[in-house]
Amino acid sequence: MRRLPFYIAVVVVALILIFLPHLLSEYRLNMVIRMLIYSLFAVSYNLLLGQGGLLSFGHAAYFGMGAYSNILMLKHWALPLPLSVFLGGVAGALLGLLFGIFVVRMRGVPFALLTLAFNQLIYAVAEKWRTVTGGEDGIAAMRAAVGLPGIGRLDLFPTSNWYLFVLLVVALSLLGCWYFTQTPFGKVNLYMRENEERTKFLGYNTYLSRLLVYCISTFFAGLAGALASGFEEYVGTTFINLDKSTEVLMMTFIGGTGSFFGPVLGASFLIYVNDLLSTLTERWSLIQGVIFIILVMYMPEGLSGIYLQLKRMVLHRAAKWRKTA
Amino acid sequence: MEIIKAFPIQALHGLVYGMLLFLVASGLTLIFGMMGVLNFAHGAFYMLGAYFSFSILVYTGNFWLSLVVSPILVGLLSILMERYLLRKIHRFGHVHQLLLTFGVAYIIEEMVKWIWGNEPLPVKIPQFLTGSLSFLGIIYPKYRLFILLVSFVVFVILFLILFRTRAGIIVMAAVHNADMVNALGINVPLVFTLLFGVGGALAGLAGVIGGPYLITHPGMAATIIVDLFVVIVVGGLGSLGGALLASFLIGELQSFGVLFFPQLALVLEFLLMAVVLIIKPEGLLGEKE
Repeated sequence: MRRLPFYIAVVVVALILIFLPHLLSEYRLNMVIRMLIYSLFAVSYNLLLGQGGLLSFGHAAYFGMGAYSNILMLKHWALPLPLSVFLGGVAGALLGLLFGIFVVRMRGVPFALLTLAFNQLIYAVAEKWRTVTGGEDGIAAMRAAVGLPGIGRLDLFPTSNWYLFVLLVVALSLLGCWYFTQTPFGKVNLYMRENEERTKFLGYNTYLSRLLVYCISTFFAGLAGALASGFEEYVGTTFINLDKSTEVLMMTFIGGTGSFFGPVLGASFLIYVNDLLSTLTERWSLIQGVIFIILVMYMPEGLSGIYLQLKRMVLHRAAKWRKTA
Repeated sequence: MEIIKAFPIQALHGLVYGMLLFLVASGLTLIFGMMGVLNFAHGAFYMLGAYFSFSILVYTGNFWLSLVVSPILVGLLSILMERYLLRKIHRFGHVHQLLLTFGVAYIIEEMVKWIWGNEPLPVKIPQFLTGSLSFLGIIYPKYRLFILLVSFVVFVILFLILFRTRAGIIVMAAVHNADMVNALGINVPLVFTLLFGVGGALAGLAGVIGGPYLITHPGMAATIIVDLFVVIVVGGLGSLGGALLASFLIGELQSFGVLFFPQLALVLEFLLMAVVLIIKPEGLLGEKE
């Protein structure tokens, strides 16, 4: 049950986000776009890590797949951007299905191992298949304006328009992901994390279920990748390498895997701090690694875990106080 | 005809890399087999071996010293990590431990970039190991033969220890069933810590001898960890014999892959992995769950 203040908060946040182009400089707006895109990437990753208990070192494969297919479709077929972004997600999901057949048979450590190896496989393809992917140079394509018959012209080139488009796609996707976690099938994902044997015993086909969860997660990862490549108007091997996979792992874990919005927090936090500190110190990555280790050792729930803990503490105190009063 | 002539040379190249891979993979797979911990930092330990060796060579110029000291330093670091980080989060499970070792690998890589810089480093090899030897009509670089020799000696010692001594039998038994060995009154956590040290030292040793050959640079940890993971998947999780077989397979595959399909060389090992996964998901010599 949601209360009225919750809905008011949602409306206020939505309004602020919609009017953000008028409030921020172009530089800041670009940062917010990155935050949105990586929030989606991290939330898609958390469907595996937090919800499914599956640690993947290879989520960049699908992010990169979405990015490459988006740019290739823009360049060779001149598709309208909304369509090519959506197809980028589909491409991510198809690759997820192909690799998923192998990887979702495993769990735990073997799963992590395999996802990393498959990521490296697709990275090697992206690097070596120069005629298609441009190798290490990558490929560029413009966010060209397209005429939509009957509706008018859609021009996503200006940053403010592009921002609104990204906002729309990310908001709908996050809503989709959130809805997924609330469906009975989303709950099966949790059951499998908690006890696979019992889930099987209840009559669920855990292999197919996990494969489907994997495809859903990789669809949104592909979508995020397509958005990212549209944002940069470029795709290269940095979209698909292991560093990208570890980046999303860091974002998700530092934000917190235990809550739906933890990864959003983590992605936004890391992008903001990275922007803030990269001019001050080149050693930010090292600090990030140290934060990561400290969280792993002492606060496995991440930054959002601190909030949850504080909330629990306050509620507990309040309950106590009410009893005595 | 030219390609046929290159056969023995390529086979030797593959053997050299396979041996190096096995040096690193042996510790990784034994540790995994014993406690279910996949040590992501193992590749970083290998890299540290190479960098320690570089610095020791710069300050003392003594190759033999670095061959002994660097692995010991890396082994000590490895023990410290197990004792003060990994052990503390044992109760959270293996995936959490993997996250931790990943964090350690990340930090080591950043530290290496900080201390030694981003550029590849020129590591000097001793005078008597430069140049080539010719035997049976093949001319082969001395240094690579040296790698082969060192790793073969270590390999023999490792197998003698594992299969002919009490300590080795304890380790192999603990790999098979750690709880039972613990129940028989052997301090398995201590054995595990020591194994971690030895595994780290072996990785460090591979780094010392492999550094000049495979180029000492901050990306070498990521490069080898991918190959290591493929070796472990192909060979079978926790299987030492499997790791040996898979190391040679990957080494030869890369070596001949470059010869026959230069474009596909990087992809071949993953294709092998996929094929093995389809035919035998538990790995070539792995045990079924």
